[in-house]
Amino acid sequence: MVFIAILIGCVLGAIIGINAPVISYTYSSYLAIAIIAALDSVFGGISSVINKNFDLKIFISGFFGNAILAILLTILGQRLNVDIYLAAIVVFVWRMFMNLGTIRRYYVEKWSNKIKEKKIKKNS
Amino acid sequence: MTNKKLISIVLGVMCFALTVAICIQVRSVQNSTTVSQSYEESNLRAEVLRYQERYENILKDIEDLNDEINKQIDEATQENSNLEDAQSQIKEGNMIIGTTDVSGPGVIITLDDSTTDPTTVFNPNDLLLHDLDILSVVNELKNTGAEAISINDQRLVTTSSIQCGGAIININGQRVGAPFEIKAIGLPENLSNLERPGGYLDDLREKYQMQVKLEKSNNITIPRYSGVITFEHAKTVE
Repeated sequence: MVFIAILIGCVLGAIIGINAPVISYTYSSYLAIAIIAALDSVFGGISSVINKNFDLKIFISGFFGNAILAILLTILGQRLNVDIYLAAIVVFVWRMFMNLGTIRRYYVEKWSNKIKEKKIKKNS
Repeated sequence: MTNKKLISIVLGVMCFALTVAICIQVRSVQNSTTVSQSYEESNLRAEVLRYQERYENILKDIEDLNDEINKQIDEATQENSNLEDAQSQIKEGNMIIGTTDVSGPGVIITLDDSTTDPTTVFNPNDLLLHDLDILSVVNELKNTGAEAISINDQRLVTTSSIQCGGAIININGQRVGAPFEIKAIGLPENLSNLERPGGYLDDLREKYQMQVKLEKSNNITIPRYSGVITFEHAKTVE
């Protein structure tokens, strides 16, 4: 159910994104960091669905809050001539890998349990 | 169950927004530049792109302001015959010096570099179009009575220069590269005489194997000169 929704969202997004107008180069660095933040939120959402502690409010506020904070940090970094966005990228990508690890462990365990059950059924 | 539905709808919408953003980002980065490994270089490249963008925005602003000025002038001179005369004189003058868009019958000449393999000729320079080629074609166009000429949308005015700039040609201080599209307004039958045997276009085509095309057209639009023409030193003799 969840994954069907995600798939539909992705396909629709790709179709519209390909036909959408191109943004100017000045803003593309902000959009890039916002994409990373949003990607992190989505993976976090999926892993919390798996852990059954998904909270809609936290998820939506995280999605927009993280993206906006990351953009603001990037702007601040450009003003100060420090690449703060690198720190944001490190944190987001690190968390993405953590969440991916959770998702992967859950499914590997699920499938290995299924295989075990089948073997037990065959033997009995 | 409703909770799960809600979750999947929200996640779907989020993924939708995310993929839209990713697609836009990928396309805009593809459009502007290749990703460079060197930090310094990519910074400089970004700077150049940013300035280019600003330049284009300012140019658009100037055009809007010019339109505004023209509208204001039209409004102000509507009910005064003296001013209307002056206005029509200004318009005529602007057409002569090339600061208004003009349209009319004429020819479109398309010139491109030769497709001959450069390893098979003695001097590969002969396969490329040079500033002097363009200059000669323009000269012949003027000789046959062209009233307005543009090269790749760069209007030729009295102060225009056609200069070699390495792999490109500088016209009006703007970089212009092959293929060249030279538009000229005038009597098409006269202008198409450029194709006569022994003419410069014929020379380019036969001697140097350049790709030359001359088309007559009844409706050619030539854009105005976007720069400013000022006279600082020249003064009218009383």
